Amino acid sequence: MLNTTVLEMTKVSKAFPGTLAVDNVDFSVEVGEIHALCGENGAGKSTLMKIIAGSYNDYTGHVYISGKEVDLHTPSKSKSFGIEMIYQELSLAYPLSIAENVLAGRMPMKSRKKNGKGLFIDKDKMVRETRRCLKMVGLDHLDPMLPIEDISQHEGQLVEIAKALGNNPCVLVMDEPTSALSREDVKRLFTIMRNLKNRGISIIYISHHLPEIFEVADRITVLRDGKKIATREKADITSEELVQMMIGHSVNEFYSHADHSINEIRLSVDNLTRNGFFHKVSFQARKGEVLGLGGLSGAGRSELARVLCGLDSRDSGTVQIDGKEVKIRNMGQALRKGIAYLTENRKTEGLALRLNLGENILAGIIPQLTRTGIYNSRRGFGILSKLVKELSIYPPDPLRIVNNLSGGNQQKVLLAKWMASEPKVLILDEPTRGVDIGAKMIIHQSIERLAQEGHTILLISSDLPELVALSNRILIMRQGHIIREMQKSECTEESVLLAANGEGV
Amino acid sequence: MTEQKTQHEHIVQPEMQLDARAVKLNIFSKFLHTLGIYGIAGLFVIFGIVLQVFGVINGFLSVQNMLNIVDAVALLGIVAVGMAFVTYSGHYADLSAPTTMALTGIVCVQMLRYGFLPAILISLAVGISVGLLNAVAIGKFKANPIIWTLAVSYVTLGVIRLVWVNKQIYPDVMASSQRASDLFDAIYRLRFFGKIALPVIILIILIIIYTLLMTRTQFGAQLKITGAARKAAKFSGINVERIIGAAFLVSAVSAAIGGLVVTSLSRVGAWYNGAGYDFRAVTAIVIGGMTLAGGRGSIIGVVGGVLIIGLMNNIMTLLGIGTFSQDMIRGAIFIIVVGVSAKSLRSLGRDDA
Repeated sequence: MLNTTVLEMTKVSKAFPGTLAVDNVDFSVEVGEIHALCGENGAGKSTLMKIIAGSYNDYTGHVYISGKEVDLHTPSKSKSFGIEMIYQELSLAYPLSIAENVLAGRMPMKSRKKNGKGLFIDKDKMVRETRRCLKMVGLDHLDPMLPIEDISQHEGQLVEIAKALGNNPCVLVMDEPTSALSREDVKRLFTIMRNLKNRGISIIYISHHLPEIFEVADRITVLRDGKKIATREKADITSEELVQMMIGHSVNEFYSHADHSINEIRLSVDNLTRNGFFHKVSFQARKGEVLGLGGLSGAGRSELARVLCGLDSRDSGTVQIDGKEVKIRNMGQALRKGIAYLTENRKTEGLALRLNLGENILAGIIPQLTRTGIYNSRRGFGILSKLVKELSIYPPDPLRIVNNLSGGNQQKVLLAKWMASEPKVLILDEPTRGVDIGAKMIIHQSIERLAQEGHTILLISSDLPELVALSNRILIMRQGHIIREMQKSECTEESVLLAANGEGV
Repeated sequence: MTEQKTQHEHIVQPEMQLDARAVKLNIFSKFLHTLGIYGIAGLFVIFGIVLQVFGVINGFLSVQNMLNIVDAVALLGIVAVGMAFVTYSGHYADLSAPTTMALTGIVCVQMLRYGFLPAILISLAVGISVGLLNAVAIGKFKANPIIWTLAVSYVTLGVIRLVWVNKQIYPDVMASSQRASDLFDAIYRLRFFGKIALPVIILIILIIIYTLLMTRTQFGAQLKITGAARKAAKFSGINVERIIGAAFLVSAVSAAIGGLVVTSLSRVGAWYNGAGYDFRAVTAIVIGGMTLAGGRGSIIGVVGGVLIIGLMNNIMTLLGIGTFSQDMIRGAIFIIVVGVSAKSLRSLGRDDA
């Protein structure tokens, strides 16, 4: 029994300034199992995994690998024990070839002696070795010399796995590997994961998608506030129980179904085109309406949003707000005309991570807080404290650096920034991506409240339950065209998904 | 619903088990965080006094020496507080500052034949136009700030040496009248109350204006966000191109004023005026707590950095350390400060790197 446990951690803790991110956690992984790790953002999943990866040299507790106690104080040490990480954001070097990425750090060198180290790279061996790694993830049709920027995101994800497999790992840690993948790609990834499992490799799988966890995992461990709540066999737990363990109380209803009253037209888009991205897009949105934009990734939804708020230029077509045509060339103009855009890339485009909560929330309304040339952030204090309270941003400290907040609270800060600017039209691009259930609920309530107050919301979301529940109407985009408009009564997760795939009437 | 909400708040507010200050910091960054830059300046003064008490150096603790220190660094201060805007905007440094100084100075001397005031105005305009060039190239066209300003400095240098055929020009020769020449000399030498030099007054005025500009205006608030995260600033509706351009303009204004001062000091318009002020200014900026990553620090901090350099130079000179050794020591200190501040910021979780 004992020797089937490949990784065991007992009483592991790790502290950060202000929080105990991992608090006395016991965790174990068997040979050849897929072990899902669940919890809200900030529950300590990522920190626990970083301990395993050797990112910290100051954790406390004991770690055993195959029964022997080890200390994982550096990444190279973890690697030497056969632990490989695959991170949420791809860590590939885009201009380099697949082979150079897969074999980074262990390039085969030409040498007269066997296994000797020569001066020059052995290109044939490099290609052969890369092929071998790619085969394990079903990518043997790809040319190893292709640069990463020329392959799809899904393939990039698999290359990352191939890179990890090349080191013959015994434990593979995957942090949200499916967040950017389409359904078919997720299915293929799961097949590969099952193959690896059958070969005796253990996988620790972190995800927010409960259906995926139930599809692929053998055992599930739940963390909350840095503490371990339970480890269960998949068969012994229902998704309701799991959610309850994650957030600590039962959720009867994720979404309310408020009936929005329909008012006059606020936004009118006519034949809007950006060549190569979307074509002759026309629609209208009313005051107080949540207009959903459904479709697969790459259907042109984010591109439409970027043109509407002036980040990209348009080739033809008109946009009217309250019956007046507007020509928007940059984000500043968009804000003045009343259009705000919440980006899907929170960390790079959304927040200034090094600045504090207050500075981030007020970033979009600095001109409004400036009078006779003098900017005074104290004028924004009222708005700030109202929004922090309304979105229950934690900690409610305007001076807290945003980088130190959990993902869910960062997302709330981003939403608060745009709520502060009181836009007529608020475009939300994946407003709850990678966010825990508690924060998601609060964000959904805020969206509904904004609509009730008369703001027009354009909601772009790949989260189907969210899209269906919040939208008054859904426009389905496919390959740059609006192919269908669905009223609230027709919208179900199934019908929207079918429509997005170009099926069903 | 209310019950759910309170429960939820309970979840997202785990008890604070550790104080933020529990992070391990090395002794030097502890000083930086608790005492501030002026604490370190104080340490230097104490160090100087100790040396004097033990008879290692003479004349450190005298009013005249203290005034000497302030005098000696006023010029560096004028240049550094302006360049600080470039660092604050996340663009590291304005390497064209030294040649902007030289250009402004030599143009002013040349123009003294049209009188003092016209010469000042024309030369400042010429100096600031270099900043305008930087503003357009780096703000609008996203040129690499280091490479671009380095290139501009060489072009400017070439222009000066070409136009004035590698010659030095003298204000008393060029000036239309003795009065204009005397006024030009007075830029560096005029003293108020018989003690405080005009450059010190100029520096104090700049400190006040720049501090207000950085902390109390729309430009300053937007500059901070631009410096900390350019993309996020753009997505917040901030005109980042104009903001970054303005930062380089401020730097050029300071360099131009500094150029007049340094030329008045040496009483000669020449291409080499201002040489070395790029690195000295960056050192002062970084010692003053404005990190190269942008969006962090203050003008007052930079002034502290300038003071420390002044104290350091003074003590080293009194100790009889040679110029070359002094340069080496300054370079080493720059490296140490950059390393230590990056490390302590990371361990505090204040940096996204």
